[in-house]
Amino acid sequence: MGKLMMLEWRKLKQKMIMGELIIYWGILMFLPIFFIKMVSTDFGESYSTIIQLMISIQMGFVLFGASLINQVVIDEYKNKTISLAFGYPISRKKLVTAKVLFISLFVFCCTIVSFLLAGITTYLLDHFFQIIDGQPTIADLTTYFSKMIGHSFMITLISLIPLYFFGVWKRATFPTVLCALFLMQFQNFSYLLNIDINPDMVNVGLCLLGAASVYLSIKMVDKVGDL
Amino acid sequence: MEYIVRTNGLTKKVKSKVLVSNVNLQIKKGEIYGFLGQNGAGKTTIMKMLTGLISPTTGEITLFNQKLTEISKSSLKRVGSIIEYPIFFEHLTAMENLQIHCEYLGYYDQKAIIQALDMVHLTGIEDKIVKDFSLGMKQRLGIVRAIITKPELIILDEPTNGLDPIGIKDMRDLIRMLNREYGITFLLSSHILGEIEQVADRIGVIKDGKLVNEVTLADISKQRTEYIEIVTKDVQKSVYLLDSELKIPNVKIIQDNRIRIYDLTLPQSEISKTLILHDIEIEEIQKHISTLEDYFYQQIHGGDKVG
Repeated sequence: MGKLMMLEWRKLKQKMIMGELIIYWGILMFLPIFFIKMVSTDFGESYSTIIQLMISIQMGFVLFGASLINQVVIDEYKNKTISLAFGYPISRKKLVTAKVLFISLFVFCCTIVSFLLAGITTYLLDHFFQIIDGQPTIADLTTYFSKMIGHSFMITLISLIPLYFFGVWKRATFPTVLCALFLMQFQNFSYLLNIDINPDMVNVGLCLLGAASVYLSIKMVDKVGDL
Repeated sequence: MEYIVRTNGLTKKVKSKVLVSNVNLQIKKGEIYGFLGQNGAGKTTIMKMLTGLISPTTGEITLFNQKLTEISKSSLKRVGSIIEYPIFFEHLTAMENLQIHCEYLGYYDQKAIIQALDMVHLTGIEDKIVKDFSLGMKQRLGIVRAIITKPELIILDEPTNGLDPIGIKDMRDLIRMLNREYGITFLLSSHILGEIEQVADRIGVIKDGKLVNEVTLADISKQRTEYIEIVTKDVQKSVYLLDSELKIPNVKIIQDNRIRIYDLTLPQSEISKTLILHDIEIEEIQKHISTLEDYFYQQIHGGDKVG
């Protein structure tokens, strides 16, 4: 399986993906300080406040996941290169599993790195320019690192929601991106629309949808449309 | 006789449309088998099923005495193919594409890649991006990919598409060489009947998704007939003269202005002389041998070739 995942990486336009990734990392690492300076100084009240913001902005990686779905799954169907893979003596389920695991691992690792970069950048900028009140406590750091793992996992699963319907089945790029944008902003929409939903429950629900999408993608790959 | 491809009642339906119907195909080890059929006859669909790209609605495929199903595809390791047109990761180099192919098949012989490129006269392009290749080069690179792992069966759908005349000859020579020297079995399809005629040992005629006939080239050669074809505006008078003056019984009118004479006892010069002496204006008179094209046309349309 590791070899199949590595082959997925070798087939991609690697420079383009790395460029995209650098843009994501660059934006997300400076975004917390940008919010304090340009949107509201309330975010700089304490490290515990800014940590909440830093965690929520990493949802941006759901969009990165959509970009990967587009390149790893949809483009392969559109360019018909998927027919090469399906002609090898490897079952389609295994091939799709390799694609899903590759996307998952890539999004998970990149989100972790993004968390680390955002944390370090925010701390260093605060260290030199005194932007946030107070110093980070051990409790703040523990929260940040535990949330980093949990949220990276959650973001990975949420990013896979469009995989089955818009990826494997409909093979549609634009709806995949739109779906990711909607999922990224879901919590904000419910806040703006004054809908009172427990955010943790929403996240659990979205994670379940992501898991269902993965299950259906692998289960139904033989059935959803011929090449 | 060992058959390496066998299909039993192979059928493919998409919604209510029957693309392939009850095809029972048998390809012997070491032969070159050609598919003939018009566009949309079902050749590519059969080839897609044989390479595991689509699954049959009903029927069975057996490759190398193993049933081919989605959960049992190991026999595909022994098959190389190009279906419809050669597909590549266009942003990668030729070498990267070939290496990825080999890794999917668990084949790690770098020398085999160079050897295969050499066979198709494609050396020196290894580090070039496939996007910049002409269709002909892609077709040849597709052949390289199909032969690289030395498969026992190669399935080529329209292999001469996009090739120039020299490329077509090279392809024909390559197929013959691989068949002769390595014992590789081929399943080919082509619209260029002369191409199939020059390489295939046996031909399967596909019409409306059905395998309507299978015949060896040797059998077709036996069935070949010679005839003289006359093109004239005065068909009725010509036929009358051929019958009354020259006593030629076996004459056939094709369209409104062509006459075919199948009895070749009299020389062509004698026939022309008689017709000219009776003021018949001959636009063309020529001796023909019925070709595979004629045979194919008869199989598809059930009549003589016209026009």
